[in-house]
Amino acid sequence: MQRYFTLILWVAVLGLPFALRAMLSTDPDSAPSDAGSVRLVIVTPHNQDIRREFARAFDAWHRRHFGIGATIDYRTPGGTNDIKRLLELTYRAQRQAGRAASADIDIAWGGGDYFFDVDLRPAGLLQPLGIDPAVLSAAIPEPTLAGVKLYDFRKDKSGQVEPPAWVGICLSSFGIVYSPDLYRTMGLPAPKRWGDLTHPELAGAVALADPTHSGSAAVAYMMVLQRAMADAEADYFREHPQVASAPKAAWTKAPGYDAAIARGWHDGMGQLLLMAANARYFTDSASQVPNDVSIGDAAAGVAIDFYARVTEESVGSDRVRFVSPAAATAITPDPVGILRGVTGERLLTARRFVEFLLSPEAQRLWILKPGSPGGPLERGLRRPPIRRDVYVDQTHWSDTDNPFQAAGGFNQRAEWMALFGDVRPLWAAAWLDGRESLKSAYATVLAVKDEPTRAALIARLADLPITMADVAAQRAQRKKIEAAGDDIEQWKVQSRMDWAKKFRAHYAAVADAAEAARKAANR
Amino acid sequence: MTRTHPLPSGPPRRRLRWSALPWLGRATPAQALLAAGVLVFFALFLLWPIAQVVWTGLATKEGGFTTRYLAMVFRDPVLLAGLWNATWIALIVTALALALSLPLAVLGVRYDFFGRGLLSGLLLVPLVLPPFVGAIGMRLVFGRYGPLTQLFGLGGDLGFDWLGRMRVFGIILVEVLHLYPIMLLNLQAALANIDPAMEQAARNLGASRWTVFRRVTLPMIRPGLFAGCTLVLIWSFTELGTPLMFDYYTVTPVQVFKLITDVADNPTPYALVVVMLAASTVLYVIGKLLLGRGFDAATTKASTGRSAKRLSGWKSLAAAAPFLVVFAMAVLPHLSVILTSVSATGAWYKSILPADYTLDHFRQALLDDLVMGSIRNSLLYASAATAIALAVGLGVAVLVVRSRLPGRGLLDALAMLPLAVPGLVLAFGYLAISIHFKQLLGARAPIWLDVQEFPAALLIIAYAARRLPNVVRSAVAGLQQTPRDLELAGANLGAGKWRVLRRITLPLILANLVAGGLLAFAFSMLEVSDSLILAQKAAYYPITKAIWELSQRLGDGVHVASALGVWAMALLSLTILAANGLLGKRMGAIFRM
Repeated sequence: MQRYFTLILWVAVLGLPFALRAMLSTDPDSAPSDAGSVRLVIVTPHNQDIRREFARAFDAWHRRHFGIGATIDYRTPGGTNDIKRLLELTYRAQRQAGRAASADIDIAWGGGDYFFDVDLRPAGLLQPLGIDPAVLSAAIPEPTLAGVKLYDFRKDKSGQVEPPAWVGICLSSFGIVYSPDLYRTMGLPAPKRWGDLTHPELAGAVALADPTHSGSAAVAYMMVLQRAMADAEADYFREHPQVASAPKAAWTKAPGYDAAIARGWHDGMGQLLLMAANARYFTDSASQVPNDVSIGDAAAGVAIDFYARVTEESVGSDRVRFVSPAAATAITPDPVGILRGVTGERLLTARRFVEFLLSPEAQRLWILKPGSPGGPLERGLRRPPIRRDVYVDQTHWSDTDNPFQAAGGFNQRAEWMALFGDVRPLWAAAWLDGRESLKSAYATVLAVKDEPTRAALIARLADLPITMADVAAQRAQRKKIEAAGDDIEQWKVQSRMDWAKKFRAHYAAVADAAEAARKAANR
Repeated sequence: MTRTHPLPSGPPRRRLRWSALPWLGRATPAQALLAAGVLVFFALFLLWPIAQVVWTGLATKEGGFTTRYLAMVFRDPVLLAGLWNATWIALIVTALALALSLPLAVLGVRYDFFGRGLLSGLLLVPLVLPPFVGAIGMRLVFGRYGPLTQLFGLGGDLGFDWLGRMRVFGIILVEVLHLYPIMLLNLQAALANIDPAMEQAARNLGASRWTVFRRVTLPMIRPGLFAGCTLVLIWSFTELGTPLMFDYYTVTPVQVFKLITDVADNPTPYALVVVMLAASTVLYVIGKLLLGRGFDAATTKASTGRSAKRLSGWKSLAAAAPFLVVFAMAVLPHLSVILTSVSATGAWYKSILPADYTLDHFRQALLDDLVMGSIRNSLLYASAATAIALAVGLGVAVLVVRSRLPGRGLLDALAMLPLAVPGLVLAFGYLAISIHFKQLLGARAPIWLDVQEFPAALLIIAYAARRLPNVVRSAVAGLQQTPRDLELAGANLGAGKWRVLRRITLPLILANLVAGGLLAFAFSMLEVSDSLILAQKAAYYPITKAIWELSQRLGDGVHVASALGVWAMALLSLTILAANGLLGKRMGAIFRM
């Protein structure tokens, strides 16, 4: 009997969702018929809500403007890395088969500007958007925000502006998410700046995103670095007001300027290292950081604005709060691009989709409350639009923060940002490859009871054996090897390995010093 | 009670010929054909996709062969430490899983006690933890302010940091509690297969219980022991999720994952995959040398039924206690998923149980248009994959155990490979093959090969290939414990090869096949990497991808995804319980001959 009981239960569990579903949905799913509509294939890491709402809105928009509906066929192989691999595989196979590039996919949408600017465009996977320049300039009058490109804006050698290959559709910013409840328990003031995440009380309680996985997280760390450099520059200018008033080109010629900037860089790297020492983990999941803060598993972390805000709303602002660090918010665009090899009718539809995304109607869809006029039907998407002019009227908006204001007061510097590609492997070496020795050294240092000694040891730990000049040399060498066409991959692996070794030796030395101090105190 | 074998009905239709003897002597034409089929499967769906991806680690930019990246793996102290850590963690996990499962298996087979049937079935349930929400559930259990901290009244300013403090100890604990059912299933099947008369004979001859266990029982269940140990060993050697959760990056699988998903194009992880595959094979071969060699199954098949000793009173409860304790510990993450699915959003904070309950997440899950389709898809994919895995796995097992085919040991090791390959690598391999064919054949490419338009076929094959090791190990163990005499007798009486297979071999190893097939089905339903990467169109999403999609939803995502996870757990647990019940009944029928 028991055997039959289990079998009956099995059938019941199997059938239950089907039965309940039939009861819950009163009207049968009326799937829009594809007949007589144009089709667009889009590869995207965007979530289901975003995909659904924009497919619906584009269909309506297309019908209104061109008298015919549009069906979007989404492809979702996962995150940006998976999309990149899918596209690379496709184009490589085409090359091998000796075919002309013909994309099965028309559009890549979402994944961050780094993905489009550093991965897709240089690999030749994008074609110029070819949308009406008037549409672009109406949507995004200024090509940059706080030094960050909002669309693919570059000039060729003769100074002509090249046709853009991608354009930002919405904005995302990284900031600090923290638990007011835990901060109160620890008796710490609420974090305001990136540097507040280096507090030793936070050891093992800071949730960080993996800089080697997410381009936009890495940009956030780059902001920490640039903030420290800008501070050093400001200090220098205070002492040398005559340089500050000189034209920018003359700065680096001024005595001591470069040294001051290098000091700032070194300080920034130290600050980041202490954040890494506090890190609970380096995750590649965007939602994990606010989630862990909301259950009190992490006291603070680095998170994308809209994930943090939605978590804050759903669990209450006593458990999760999001702050944009003063004058150092990393705001980046989330773009769309048309893939290489798309032609004819499909190219036309693809361009219409891009123009639709830039329209005020689609821009408001990102931020309007669900159910409001022109807003999403089911759930709010809650991402800041990239069109500055739609911020004028914020009726029915889910969030009213204005990134265009938050970005004020700080500019990324192109010349500092240029270091990005060469600094990132250093983070990988110092934070990830050296992780276990960093953690154990940090624990040993924190075990030292005497406060001045401990503070000195922490400062020593942050004093990484690397200078900005090393990075410049590294960069020069990389360029040389690339120019010579040698095996750059092997060189990169080797150099990361060498740096990791150096950093581990540094951590071990600090740990030894801490151990000695602890023993001396006990004696 | 001893009976003779039932005679096959009808007169012998054929004269006894050499080739009619099943699986005797050198490879027969039928075996050669079978071997060719199995090899084609391996080559097409295993070696080729792996090679597609791993080649990056062995190729120069110009496309030539190089070992320089392999050499770099061995020059990097961090990667070497990772290999070493992964190895010893896997060894300890295997030893502990064995230490946990063996007494439970013996207890469950030898004695009849309070709730035995249900308890031994329940012990297998921890296997079925849905991805993503399972990990989130586990993190909740071990949270600083999580239920454990509250229960024990621990914690200072920042609660009690279980994940940060336990580290390697935690990894081992979680892996043992997750993987012991694989060991248990194989041991139960092996114990059920042995002949109690042998143990009784030894007892009659004056051997103590311990001596009987050590000298008679253990050697006779060696095939099941080997199957369980190698599966757990390689699984834990290549386990990614658990060390990642404990923020422990210095183990090879995590290093491969972190490097493969690194935005910088880096050949090292692919070279590292080659090293990991080689290391897994070496581990497997060592295991085989220790446990799996030269097993002679001449007389181990039970000819009498085992009558479990009935325990009563406190003894009965005492026998049930270890089952309950292990189950309670192993099922904590599952419990956490269930509670998350009924907890109001954000209502589980600094408390043992959620403060506020709701059924709305289930409603949300039911209303989502991904969910119903994903349930149908997953059932279809997993059933088809299990069928394929059983067919191929049985073929491999027959060749490995019953043939004199040259290189059958290699075939055996090859069948374990899918367990050792990182999921991402195999998934990208299938993707590469699909795209390759599509470009090569253009419009003539068959639709089932085009993973972007119709991923179902490749998903089924991917699941089947990935779950092959479970089936192969079970079937091999079963065949090894089945005396060849029984098959020979059938053949002698004139049964053809098919008839022998159908009427004698299959019924005799049914317990093992059910055990292997069950694992294949359950794990196919829960397969992650292939599902995420190959199922690119919403209409073909399996449950795991639907869970992932739901968990990405803002606000209540984790809760709604947990609701779907709860349903999957319920169905798979019942599958296991039902099969376990069926198995118990059938075992009795088969072995009392």
